[in-house]
Amino acid sequence: MNPQNSDAPSLEVENLVKHFPIFGGLLRRQVGSVKAVDGVTLSVRRGETLGIVGESGCGKSTLGKMVLKLIEPTSGTIRLAGVDITHLSPREMWPHRRRIQTVFQDPYSSMNPRLTAGSIVGEPLENFGIARGSEKEERVAQLFQRVGLRPENMRKYAHEFSGGQRQRLGIAKALAVNPDVIVADEPVSALDVSVQAQVLNLLIDLQEEHKLAYLFISHDLAVMRHISHRIAVMYLGRVVELADKRRLFTMPLHPYTEALLAAAPLPNPKKKRERLIIQGDVPSPAKPPSGCHFHPRCPFAIPACREVVPTLQEVSPGHHVACIRRPPESEPVPLTKTI
Amino acid sequence: MSILQVRDLKTHFFTQDGVVRAVDGVSFEVGLGETVAVVGESGCGKSVTALSILRLIPKETGRIVGGEILFNGRDLTKLSEEEMRSIRGHEISMIFQEPMTSLNPVLTIGTQIAENVVRHKGVSWEEARRRAKEMLELVRIADPERRLDEYPHQLSGGMRQRVMIAIALSCDPKILIADEPTTALDVTIQAQILDLMIELKKKINAAIIMITHDLGVVAETAQRVIVMYAGRKVEEAPIEDLFDNPMHPYTRGLMAAIPRLDIEAEVGGRRTRLHEIPGMVPVLTKPIPGCAFAPRCAFATDRCRTQAPPYVESTPGHVAACWEVDRVREMAA
Repeated sequence: MNPQNSDAPSLEVENLVKHFPIFGGLLRRQVGSVKAVDGVTLSVRRGETLGIVGESGCGKSTLGKMVLKLIEPTSGTIRLAGVDITHLSPREMWPHRRRIQTVFQDPYSSMNPRLTAGSIVGEPLENFGIARGSEKEERVAQLFQRVGLRPENMRKYAHEFSGGQRQRLGIAKALAVNPDVIVADEPVSALDVSVQAQVLNLLIDLQEEHKLAYLFISHDLAVMRHISHRIAVMYLGRVVELADKRRLFTMPLHPYTEALLAAAPLPNPKKKRERLIIQGDVPSPAKPPSGCHFHPRCPFAIPACREVVPTLQEVSPGHHVACIRRPPESEPVPLTKTI
Repeated sequence: MSILQVRDLKTHFFTQDGVVRAVDGVSFEVGLGETVAVVGESGCGKSVTALSILRLIPKETGRIVGGEILFNGRDLTKLSEEEMRSIRGHEISMIFQEPMTSLNPVLTIGTQIAENVVRHKGVSWEEARRRAKEMLELVRIADPERRLDEYPHQLSGGMRQRVMIAIALSCDPKILIADEPTTALDVTIQAQILDLMIELKKKINAAIIMITHDLGVVAETAQRVIVMYAGRKVEEAPIEDLFDNPMHPYTRGLMAAIPRLDIEAEVGGRRTRLHEIPGMVPVLTKPIPGCAFAPRCAFATDRCRTQAPPYVESTPGHVAACWEVDRVREMAA
């Protein structure tokens, strides 16, 4: 095992793959596999938010679950601050478990309805031997205050809280053990706009205070633009574009990224845009199209797109794109339609 | 000319915790062929307003307790259940957020569209099936002949929503109520469905009531907007007026709270903070004498807390229920 390295990114994944087997036929033999995540390489630095954006079935949640070691990757490597945790057993994982925490979309479903809010947040403190007794109580009260909940509420049960408060509770619980990395899977998707703003502000403040690394998974591009530093766009298990936020929103290079940006309705009636609406549905990840997975829906596809699997290429510093029509160091000009 | 007039609608639910005033005196009109958006957060009463129009409030728990809903001059709140049934799916139809739960899983797509046509138009099943195929073409489902014989589970989410639209439009409704029609869909599919609705709108000339929480969907589809909060209408305006010049402090707060896709979210390399609306939505079981937004409003005075605010009209068709519009306007300037 490599020693912990303070210069290493808080979280790295390399060539991460997850294939779920499909069983079928009379003998329930494996007849295929869903390539939920198909070779993803990413890293998140201290204090940085890496956004993972994509539509249903793109593999973004599976990626999050693998990083949390909730599911076993098929192949590839996961490193926490330089330490390879890919194949650690639950027991071996224990000392590292504290370093990576999660915030779910629906925190309520992850909370024991019989525990008070105070015990829910305090439980990890005791489990990891960080604090107990009155010291624990004090720490929990501090956490409550920090996430904007009144410490009196420690005696309440999860069902007595509103959606926004439950998410604050979920954040307090994740924060309790001083993690380095937080995997947040659609943490604000279930919240109303006014509450969403409160939670996003809180997440940003906490990140700056504790230099947290966020792996922030969402389908909402506006939320992404707000909270991320860098963004990876996924389509059917693969990263198709990776760039810092500003580049991605002002100069998207992958046709899918462009289509995603064009598809989101803008709260501005004067900007009735010429939409690039891509036709068709996202194909099933069990039967992804050959070559570039996006080619059947891509208005710019050329015959080679059906054959060649595009690899993620760095076209300018920090800007990676997987599209054979975007060779490295090419000028970012609009692609032309092919007939 | 308006085709629907909702006047002082009150829909209440009777629960163990008391009377929930889900819709508490809402009035608005919808013009022929117009698209009106009703926007607001969870619990603001937007969906209950829609369900009230169709008289789909579950009898066990709730009831329209006041007001009238005039459709072509007839008060829908006074009609018998039988009379309502001949209006639903015919003159007024609705599409819901989750098409899978509204479609019957054991009937083919064709049967489900034709069923509605047979029921309301009294035509033969053969004729109705032809109509069903026409409708699938209208909502641009490829290979409609084959799709007629498929079941809902064989379709993708976007296609199911197209089928819902086909059913809703199959009897040439005067009003189409769409309750969060794209919320459950992926963003590229949402764009397809919104585009389809905008395009169909031009063809069918039905009025559309678009219920949504998404100001982006409002901006793309509607001509007029009604903003609801805690069961009440707080603001109403032509679409551009609302976005250019929101008057009610709640509307202003809502607009400042949304992260924007079209605006740089950084100032000097630092992420900006979103505007927060402090506090929470009020409990609807207690009567609210003044403005429902007062406890969260930076402009609130004692008058706001005790007396219901009047509707103040600033420009034609732009009204806000607020005592302090002048102060709000000064602040904005």
